[in-house]
Amino acid sequence: MFKLFSLSNIFFWIEKLTSFINSVFFILLLVALSFALIFSPPDYLQGDSVRIMYVHVPSAWIGLASFTFIALLSIINFIFKIKNIKLITKSIAPIGLMFTCLAIVTGSLWGQPTWGTWWAWDARITSMLVLTLFYIGFIITYKFISNDDRANKISSVIAIIGLINIPIIKYSVEWWSTLHQPASIKFAGSSSIHSSMLLPLFLMFLVLLLYCALIFLMKYKTEIIRIKKKNLKRL
Amino acid sequence: MIQNLLFMNGYGFFVWASFLIMFFVCTFVYFKTYKTLKKYEKEFAKEINELSIEQKKSVVENSKIASQILSTYSKTI
Repeated sequence: MFKLFSLSNIFFWIEKLTSFINSVFFILLLVALSFALIFSPPDYLQGDSVRIMYVHVPSAWIGLASFTFIALLSIINFIFKIKNIKLITKSIAPIGLMFTCLAIVTGSLWGQPTWGTWWAWDARITSMLVLTLFYIGFIITYKFISNDDRANKISSVIAIIGLINIPIIKYSVEWWSTLHQPASIKFAGSSSIHSSMLLPLFLMFLVLLLYCALIFLMKYKTEIIRIKKKNLKRL
Repeated sequence: MIQNLLFMNGYGFFVWASFLIMFFVCTFVYFKTYKTLKKYEKEFAKEINELSIEQKKSVVENSKIASQILSTYSKTI
């Protein structure tokens, strides 16, 4: 069982997974883009600007989910001290940061035609900015602290503190009066979004998830090689 | 049809800017990550090749990762 999770086996599965994702990625991307830009209808209020949703919402979801995942793994790491977890969180963080920044930028591009402003110190937008700062803090600790154990501890603390921000982001639109609209898609209860828009949204989400998996696998592989290189120097 | 797709009733700039930013950032990150991975693989293979024959043999026997990378890069180094 433990042999299954050895770095050698993981390395083998990374190769397999990467080639599988590469084979389906471009077809899915073409289908998702066709739905997002051509086949999906414009919104009755926002017109064609609603198409920004197909990149903005999945980016925000990935940004939030990545940080939640990092924080939960950091808690597990604090308790069980599993070295592999450090490699995983280190590989996910840059992806999460990238998508959080993309969510903010595309949100700003959506805000201008919808609200008439590029930026507002609104609860949802500000809390997303705070999330970006947590991501930067998490990544910076590995860059600037040479002691691996110390960097690992500090980054885990940052991730666990940052976890408080996740429900704030999620419920900010309900707790405060904000420019940002409340969630249209609810996991419990009915969504206020039509299926003709839900399909491209989930297709784009799937494509971006595959992209994340691809980047994660490459980063994770790089981290494994980095460890192997260190071990080689000990010889 | 094409004009509609480009201008999107006046929202074309905002929609296309969002999709293009996304596309360029994702492409840049993909190639940067890929380049870093290849750099590390190459350096690792080079370091193995610089070991003595006995050390190299033991590394390749004990590490599937090393043998896999070495088989990819032995021809290019």
